[in-house]
Amino acid sequence: MTRRRLPEWLVLLLPAIIVIAAVVLIPLLFSLYSSFTPYKLTRPSTLWKWVGTYNYEKILSDAKFWAAFGRTVLFLTIVLNLELLLGLGIALMMNKVTWGQRTLRTILMFPMMFSPILVGFQFKFIFNDNIGLVNNVLQSMGFNAALPWLVDGKLAMFSIMFAEIWMSTSVFAILILAGLFAMPRDPLEAAKVDGCTPWQSFRHITLPFLMPFIYIAMTIRSLDVARAYDIVQIMTGGGPARRTELLWTLMSRTGYVDARMGLANAMGYVSIILSILFTVYFFRKLSAARAELGMAG
Amino acid sequence: MDRNQAHRNRRRLLKTAHFIGLFLTMLVICVPGLWIVLNSFRPTVEIMAKPPVWVPSFTLDHYRAMFAGAGEGGVPVFSYFRNSLIVSVTSTFIAILIGMSGGYAFARYRFWGKNSYFVGLMLFRAVPGVALSLPLFIVFAKVGIIDTHFGLILAYVAMNVPFTIWLTDGFFRQIPKELHEAAEIDGCTRWQAFWKVEFPVARSGVASAGIFAFLTSWNEFALASQLTRSVGSKTMPVGLLDFTAEFTINWGGMCALAVLMIVPALILTFIVQKHLIAGLTFGGVKG
Amino acid sequence: MTEVTLSNVVKKYGALQAVHGIDLDIQDGEFVVLVGPSGCGKSTTLRMIAGLEDISGGEVSIGGRVVNDLPPRERNISMVFQNYALYPHMTVRENLGFSLKIAKRPGAEITEAVNEAAQILGLDELMDRKPAALSGGQRQRVAMGRAIVRHPDVFLFDEPLSNLDAKLRTQMRVEIKKLHQKVESTIIYVTHDQIEAMTLADRIVLMRDGHIVQVGTPLELFNAPVDTFVATFIGSPPMNLVDGVVEDGQIVLDGGVTLPVPTTAGRLSEGQAIKFGFRADNLMPAGHAVDEDGAVYELDLAVTLTEPLGTETLLFTNMAGVEVQGKMFNPRPVRPGEKMNFRLMLDKCHVFDAQSGHAIRR
Repeated sequence: MTRRRLPEWLVLLLPAIIVIAAVVLIPLLFSLYSSFTPYKLTRPSTLWKWVGTYNYEKILSDAKFWAAFGRTVLFLTIVLNLELLLGLGIALMMNKVTWGQRTLRTILMFPMMFSPILVGFQFKFIFNDNIGLVNNVLQSMGFNAALPWLVDGKLAMFSIMFAEIWMSTSVFAILILAGLFAMPRDPLEAAKVDGCTPWQSFRHITLPFLMPFIYIAMTIRSLDVARAYDIVQIMTGGGPARRTELLWTLMSRTGYVDARMGLANAMGYVSIILSILFTVYFFRKLSAARAELGMAG
Repeated sequence: MDRNQAHRNRRRLLKTAHFIGLFLTMLVICVPGLWIVLNSFRPTVEIMAKPPVWVPSFTLDHYRAMFAGAGEGGVPVFSYFRNSLIVSVTSTFIAILIGMSGGYAFARYRFWGKNSYFVGLMLFRAVPGVALSLPLFIVFAKVGIIDTHFGLILAYVAMNVPFTIWLTDGFFRQIPKELHEAAEIDGCTRWQAFWKVEFPVARSGVASAGIFAFLTSWNEFALASQLTRSVGSKTMPVGLLDFTAEFTINWGGMCALAVLMIVPALILTFIVQKHLIAGLTFGGVKG
Repeated sequence: MTEVTLSNVVKKYGALQAVHGIDLDIQDGEFVVLVGPSGCGKSTTLRMIAGLEDISGGEVSIGGRVVNDLPPRERNISMVFQNYALYPHMTVRENLGFSLKIAKRPGAEITEAVNEAAQILGLDELMDRKPAALSGGQRQRVAMGRAIVRHPDVFLFDEPLSNLDAKLRTQMRVEIKKLHQKVESTIIYVTHDQIEAMTLADRIVLMRDGHIVQVGTPLELFNAPVDTFVATFIGSPPMNLVDGVVEDGQIVLDGGVTLPVPTTAGRLSEGQAIKFGFRADNLMPAGHAVDEDGAVYELDLAVTLTEPLGTETLLFTNMAGVEVQGKMFNPRPVRPGEKMNFRLMLDKCHVFDAQSGHAIRR
């Protein structure tokens, strides 16, 4: 009768913990181990050879790795900031719409539902230098040269960013719009009467209220920044000449094409830490913003 | 008078700018998708035409080829569709059961370190699919569930559980605790109180969490591309690659498959959009 | 036969103790009100009786049966919640019948019980609506209906009227009292509103900081408060309290007013610091007073503020440097600053020890 039982909350959480442990935690531990070996898929025996931090030293002294790493951080910084700004702008515009708002909001959600791989193909098609929509339009308007959108390094990076932003801006717009809907009217009206310009009332009243919503969007986004892998993989595969190589494409090439699992897993850990840093950062911002507005509890 | 006039002009200008901005936004959002749909109905010659043909003609060739199955160079779309459906539906169902139970624990119980558990679970969701696919590939190969529905379902369940917990936690927290207490006083066990009162009240929220999970599985590529190999288990996002050969891409066929992929997603999204936003924001804001 | 007994009931949240060993005997059919300021442990006590909170120590028994570890469903109680807790996905009819359905009673019996409850509370018109389509008062009635359908041994009410506006609250108070007369079950009712407590209770249990301060009928608490807390909590306006000292067998208030010791007071020692208490009803201007029997002390006071209430007017004035309130019956207009001759009914006054706050009475 008095046998100690697990607390109910733990029983309820247990299935989730077990599944995640089995499918995520154990493979991650395995990959952590293998990142200390010269493991190659083609030669299984290499799994048992311990090389210490050799792989990490190797990638840390590899210019190609650092180029990909820097490019990834730069990519994320530009893309996330632009998505936030555009999302904010779209949300503010949508908030002012008086007619057909529901329809517009539904349209706004479309890109969220596209598979990243589909987005990749879609823009690979649209930016195709020969038959793509963009070049066709440009040529019809009188430009003679076909712009090599996915062949030139800089243009390719731009195309990828465009695709990424097209896909993910909606998340920001939708959530910020939800914040605008939830916003009480009184403070804004009080500010108007107190003589605030539209910019001042946006800066001092609207924006602080929206911060938690912005951070929710950021947190949700940071959970799957690596989706960009699908897009890059399809659109350029990291090329031309590694000009669009991101951490994730480099890792998958090292692992699957070169079959150097140990090395790839070491890179994997760098990318995991990067993702986790992003997520933790925004989670903290989120709870700080919440506490500030007294929304906790 | 003049100042009134000036303000009126300014307002008119702003209104025009607002309209143009909105129009451009919607254009950029809609055109790529519509372009895909349009091209799925155009003959290949026309897609490839140079200079471009602007007045489209209409053909069902790509769809006919797609549904004709694995004929000459054809892609076994039916199998891919079926695989996608089996994997997504099953993994969603399981993820919802597990996630709901976890979300309920977060919403209703107080325990030490609750916030850390929550963030910890979310961090597992943050692990990039590519980074996970390498070791998962090896582990699954060892266990012998590579290239099976089961393996992919398992992976998707683990991937979807954290976010399902986030969403359902938000939905359950919107339900006052008294409701469940009232049910207990009315004679329910805790289990009955959940299924007869709390679950029906949160049903639409749980449904939207389900659709979110479904879409994640339906659209996922990084894991599926490594964990599946054969026609028997490949999902549609992976199948899309079948249209690319070494140097050529069958654009028309690809567009047709893309339409097949996107239509169910759009319909589902349309159904739950309202609840989805509510769940995301509530769970996040009132954390 | 459903008396409820609490013996030495304790509730702890970790190191924090919310309820400190409460003893209480509630008779069958009695209407008991737990009242006190927020955070006094009254709701926690009620929830322990309901089985919604674990009992950290002591014993709760219902109908002679110890229920400490029984889940709510095995206690045969029903409860009305502050926020009503109606099931939003069910119609009024389904809400009312839910408990019987869970108990797997036959359909005919459910229909009969639901209709009976609906009739008692006047819900017939609303049976097929969902809670969202009801007004606050209607929801309140459905919540009560849900409670009576099961014919429970004990009814528990957790601040059921606090979300209603003032007018509805008065109305529902009467309905609850009528309901009690009709069903004759034991009722335990929690509120922070002393007027609700006074008007509804057979017996009031006044709590503070997890302790019971006083148990008694409304009039006992009103007329013989055991300490200054009860004296100021029960009654509106609260009892006036003026600091003073016992000197030469008389009471000298701090402002210099000297009074004879009221006949109700117990033994006072020379030099003892006291608080002298009296209600507004017992400080009346001459010519506007009622009930002039017994010892009277007369004094002149300047009125600073008036609050006309219709049949009477509250007069604010200063006695020994403390603001006190008196009452004027058959009121006439009074100017602020006007000096009036007041009559203090000494036999109705109270003396409390200044330090402990306990009443000193014979």
